[in-house]
Amino acid sequence: MAVIPALRLDGVSFSYGTLPALADLSFSIAPGERVALLGKNGAGKSTVVRLVAGLERPDEGTVWVGDWDTHDAAPEQLARRVGSVFQHADQQLFASTVRDDVSFGPRALGVGAREVERRTDDAIEDLDLAPHAAHHPYDLPPAFRKLAALAGALALEPALLVLDEPTIGLDGALRGRVTRALLERSAAGVALLVITHDLTFAAETLERGLVLDRGTLACDEPLAGLLGDATRLEPLGLVAPPVAALSAALDLPGRPVRAADAARELARVARGRPGP
Amino acid sequence: MKSLTLEGATFWYPATESPALREVSLEVAQGEVVALVGALGAGASTLLLVAADLAPRVTGGRLAGAVARRDRSGIVLPTPWTQASGMAFTVWDEVAFGPANLAWPTHEIARQVDRALERLELIPLASRDPTTLSGGELQRVIIAAILAMDPGLVLFDEPAAELDAGGARTLWRLIRLLAKEGKAVLLATSALDALPDVADRVVWLEDGAVRAVGTPDLLADVAACDAGLGTSVATVWRASGLPGPYPLTVAHAVQRWR
Repeated sequence: MAVIPALRLDGVSFSYGTLPALADLSFSIAPGERVALLGKNGAGKSTVVRLVAGLERPDEGTVWVGDWDTHDAAPEQLARRVGSVFQHADQQLFASTVRDDVSFGPRALGVGAREVERRTDDAIEDLDLAPHAAHHPYDLPPAFRKLAALAGALALEPALLVLDEPTIGLDGALRGRVTRALLERSAAGVALLVITHDLTFAAETLERGLVLDRGTLACDEPLAGLLGDATRLEPLGLVAPPVAALSAALDLPGRPVRAADAARELARVARGRPGP
Repeated sequence: MKSLTLEGATFWYPATESPALREVSLEVAQGEVVALVGALGAGASTLLLVAADLAPRVTGGRLAGAVARRDRSGIVLPTPWTQASGMAFTVWDEVAFGPANLAWPTHEIARQVDRALERLELIPLASRDPTTLSGGELQRVIIAAILAMDPGLVLFDEPAAELDAGGARTLWRLIRLLAKEGKAVLLATSALDALPDVADRVVWLEDGAVRAVGTPDLLADVAACDAGLGTSVATVWRASGLPGPYPLTVAHAVQRWR
């Protein structure tokens, strides 16, 4: 029997009033797959997140979350399968401490008290939020609020995580934390759909790139090849991240796009030559 | 001419014992772009709020030390959507809201709004309802709205956060242009790879205090790389075990490699 995709969009169109956002969009994401949703501002990326979370319904076509049609499922039901971080995460935080906010999701799902504790502890630990767990979310900088929202999505332990710009304002160490947490979840079978303009983060974390252009799918291919090809990125409104540009400029074997891979190749090539 | 001078500035948020800024001394001159870098929570956003005269005036809390501003400032917050007036039905009117509150003559408001919209490449969106914009589009509108007030000191907190590659490139170029026109620019960003082309000086904040000040070359220092504040290229170079000094950018790396 074929594996049911974690997410499938089937001919989805959507407009905000008279303003078209998505036109006949189709793609699917397998369990455990790590997908970047890329594209210019206004391309329709955040609309995809709202459709998958059930906050909007497609005008045409179907959004399938596993074997659920979002037409028939309320957002609170979809939360059993989808953990979302919205563009303006502030709007999804409401508890008086970070810890209460993170634990709200599993509590609302009706899981047992001990399990709520475990999930909350894990999510807070995964994102290094323990020092801020007792703080009011609004006493923290916006980037921490986004992390708190992400921890809340992780605590749902959903089959699919849909994240809109999860790393805005994060420093390198915390971006690394997010990458590690997402790789762990993916290894356990969680599908990831991540909107980001941070292609360095995308290269480190994700494996497949979907590029939206004015509401339609302009590109769907492995991220490593795409990010290393500056001539193809340009018309899509994207710029190669520095590591990919470095690999291309020095012609490193395999054109690595991740920092650790590039460092390894750089060392290997340097050993075989007199300089630098 | 100094636009902003901080001398031994220490700031406490309300009901906190540990200061968010410690003895920070810093000058930003007209025509200069100064970038604040550091780990999240190091104090960059707080420093911008102090520079904008929002802390402690609006935030509450307590400030010790001296802060002198020569110019009127404008700040783009890291949550630009909270800066929309909510009272405009078009992008043009949203950008005009600030200048109108400065009681400028109508023709001057129109001139500044048109110029700001053009600079942020927003002319095609001028008649759009701001509530229908994407996050990145709205971020550009808010930047335009701040610039339309013609502040002498421009403060940016993560100004490229929601911008696509083209929007970010436009913004970084515009920031250089603002400096060329004589404005003082102080910005906080985690987009370290952009800084070699943008910043005249980089200020490294740690735990609310200034750890180091230098040219963008600071972002290729061993200590900065160790603290996660190296550029991507410097960080890869260091991780490869190749000897320093580490290249700051791809162009520098190519020179070193030859």
